[in-house]
Amino acid sequence: MATAVHLDGITKRFPGVVANDDVDLEVEHGTVHALLGENGAGKTTLMNVLYGLYEPTSGTVRLDGEPRTFDSPRDAIDAGVGMIHQHFMLVDPMTVTENVTLGSEPRKWGGLAVDRAAAREAVVELADRYGFDVDPDARIEDVSVGEQQRVEILKALYRGADTLILDEPTAVLTPQEVEELFAVLAELTAQGKTIIFITHKLGEAMRAADEVSVLRDGKKVGTVDADGTTREELAELMVGREVLLDVEREPAQTGEVVAAASDVVVEDDRGVRAVDGISFEVRAGEVFGIAGVDGNGQTELVEALTGLGVPDEGEIRFRDEDVTTASRRERIEAGMAYIPEDRQERGLVMEFGLVENGLLGSQHGPELGPNGRIDWPATRDHAEAIIDEYDVRPADADADAESLSGGNQQKFIVGREFKRDPEFVVASHPTRGVDVGSIEFIHERLLELRRQGVAVLLVSSKLEEVQGLSDRMGVVYEGEFIDVVDPEETTEEELGLLMAGERPGGGGDETGATDETDPEATPSDVTGGERA
Amino acid sequence: MSDASADGVGDADGATAAEGRGFFERHTTRAVFAAVTVASVAALLVAGFLFPDSLAGTLAAVLTSENTLAAALRLSVPIAFAALGGIFAEKSGVINIGLEGLLIVSAFGAIYVADVTGGVWIGFAGGVLASTLLAALFAVVTIQFRADQIIAGLAVWLIALGLAPFASQVIYGSPNTPTVATSPSVSVPVLEEIPFFGALFSASPSVYLLFAAVALSWYVFERTAFGRWIRASGENPEALDTAGVSVARVRYAAVIISGVLAGMGGAALSLDLGQFTGNGPTMVNGKGFIAIVAYLFGNYNPIGAFLSTLLFAGLDAVQTVLQLQGIGVPRQLIRITPFVVVIVVLALVGRTRLPEAAGEHYDTEE
Repeated sequence: MATAVHLDGITKRFPGVVANDDVDLEVEHGTVHALLGENGAGKTTLMNVLYGLYEPTSGTVRLDGEPRTFDSPRDAIDAGVGMIHQHFMLVDPMTVTENVTLGSEPRKWGGLAVDRAAAREAVVELADRYGFDVDPDARIEDVSVGEQQRVEILKALYRGADTLILDEPTAVLTPQEVEELFAVLAELTAQGKTIIFITHKLGEAMRAADEVSVLRDGKKVGTVDADGTTREELAELMVGREVLLDVEREPAQTGEVVAAASDVVVEDDRGVRAVDGISFEVRAGEVFGIAGVDGNGQTELVEALTGLGVPDEGEIRFRDEDVTTASRRERIEAGMAYIPEDRQERGLVMEFGLVENGLLGSQHGPELGPNGRIDWPATRDHAEAIIDEYDVRPADADADAESLSGGNQQKFIVGREFKRDPEFVVASHPTRGVDVGSIEFIHERLLELRRQGVAVLLVSSKLEEVQGLSDRMGVVYEGEFIDVVDPEETTEEELGLLMAGERPGGGGDETGATDETDPEATPSDVTGGERA
Repeated sequence: MSDASADGVGDADGATAAEGRGFFERHTTRAVFAAVTVASVAALLVAGFLFPDSLAGTLAAVLTSENTLAAALRLSVPIAFAALGGIFAEKSGVINIGLEGLLIVSAFGAIYVADVTGGVWIGFAGGVLASTLLAALFAVVTIQFRADQIIAGLAVWLIALGLAPFASQVIYGSPNTPTVATSPSVSVPVLEEIPFFGALFSASPSVYLLFAAVALSWYVFERTAFGRWIRASGENPEALDTAGVSVARVRYAAVIISGVLAGMGGAALSLDLGQFTGNGPTMVNGKGFIAIVAYLFGNYNPIGAFLSTLLFAGLDAVQTVLQLQGIGVPRQLIRITPFVVVIVVLALVGRTRLPEAAGEHYDTEE
């Protein structure tokens, strides 16, 4: 077998950061190569070099042994390298065919018209050759996320890609869609295509890849054969030390009900029921987890709980009081803390220093904001206390929030929220995009709160996180709880089925379980509502 | 709207079903509105036919008069041209709120050039050029220098609103220009004899030009690669960029086309009367804003925009005729109709979907 892609001594420096440091990578024809590493390890940067988005500071890119330099993705595409980005580059109101051929439309009548029959045929033919299940005439906004991803792959193939780079392809998929994707990858390599896929999930790297290269802090720390390795070995390569993959947790000492939601319904701005009748209780001293693929109503539910949105129906109670329509301020003062899923959008003011950011939410409080003015010396002490206790680095209260790494930003937010001595914490994806060290730290703090008798609601799309931390967990699908389960007694496979909307014991009677009245409420609707 | 599935290639079955569902989902309220309009007009006509001496009778006579259609078409020309231009710009992601300004400069420019050269068609070209230059300036400011599109668009309007009457004042000593020759209307033999619809075939050349522009615009959006790039540039510019098409180029082209089209509208407006009048809001008098309403109501479809224009202009024409017959409908009420309609359509009905990336700047990374 010959080498399809050979990266030789690639170094990429950004001002102040070495994103890639002398990385060598060899990928053989017709294989799947996983690029494994934590967030910020330099995986995406390396692939952007291969794809022509970045020019390497030093080093060479060779395709089939030939040294190549790419000034733009266009050059890379012409050389047969295609990239499927984490965020799909698709035009929602256009059809699958129009998207696949965009920018390279077959023409007729001397270029005056798109040859739509030829375009459709080309798409159908490609899809057939690789066994893809896509409808060439469907609009992107009407098809599932998995199908959108296949359209992205078709786009690259249509442009003649021999090497496909997939950036975190499984992040947005249900477990079943992940299986489909892996089948697609197998078919592609069987027909001679070369695949490089970026991931931070050990299990996926081992399952789908022939070889796994691990990046850490911009350096390649090793390439191993996927069949001859173990999760533990890969994890150690990734983080450089042995990691406890499971969280130690003592049984819950639950007290009375602190927060409760009953039959909550939230409609998004198009009238689709993003949350469709969810009820639960969270007791003092327990972690109640909500698992599910992103975009199934979690965002809207959290907004309703925290006062960022108002439910259209149902009731939310906090310590026996109806807080359904209580304002954000009232909720904060009553003892509800919130770790938002988008820390840059909702957790911090990126251009402000940590002193100001530490004040957020406490600006009306008696300690920092007495009588309508701000006590700046106290606010500074407060920020410094958070930095100290929550190990925020660099330990500089005047640093702008945007100068911190994601993990440190998150630790600062967690510190700010927990220092309010809350009785109820809503933690929405608290470790998203955070390094392993910070993840461990945040998990320990959440469990510490639990020991202290705080009620915690944990929303996460990471299965092992919800499963590892929760005492009880609800699985949400299209705005409803498919089931509430005991995480210790449920397997990942069972959870995967639940997350895909299959009711327990329902045996294929899936349509009956989901919302029949609105067959249009496809994932695209839900994704659309996500950013509301 | 016809789509790829209309080709009927292969198994169009499922596609047709999806298409049908999509149609009702996307157009129900619009369809209801259209149906209600058609039904009330029909009811009025029937009532007018049965009781020719009543108010309904008078109205019906006015509505079925060839003169009304002719007047509506004439009033439509500047608005519909500007609306077509607005569609090009906004679909590409640049909201061109300065259409009013483009109409003003082209209206004046056309008269000035016609006055100097003595040729109506040269004047027309001059008007188009003036509007295109102003649109190009707007494009540079919003695309290259990333200015806010709304503010830059308002600036285009305000600059034109001040500049055109000022230029007229300097050149002719009055905000109103002297009159120039107009071009005679063109008639198609035989067809112009058709009752009522004959008005379509005996009109000013600009009306025919408008028909051509509507058809051509539809063709560009529905059938050409460039039309798709414009749509992609307004919906998801990143997708277009990664597909290897320059977003900036597509947007420049679209905004300049909007300048050309609006220029044709403005030039036709003033050359039709042979004069530019620059007092107050000038002779353009809000037509550029009604154009925005028209293309929103027409859901960014050139044909839809033209029909909405015809509806608004038709109301205006009917009102004028009624005024002459002594049945007063306050002009001001008629004039606000388009804006009331757009508020109802956008706010209550909410079915007009703006392009996802309209109003946003786009930068290629690295």
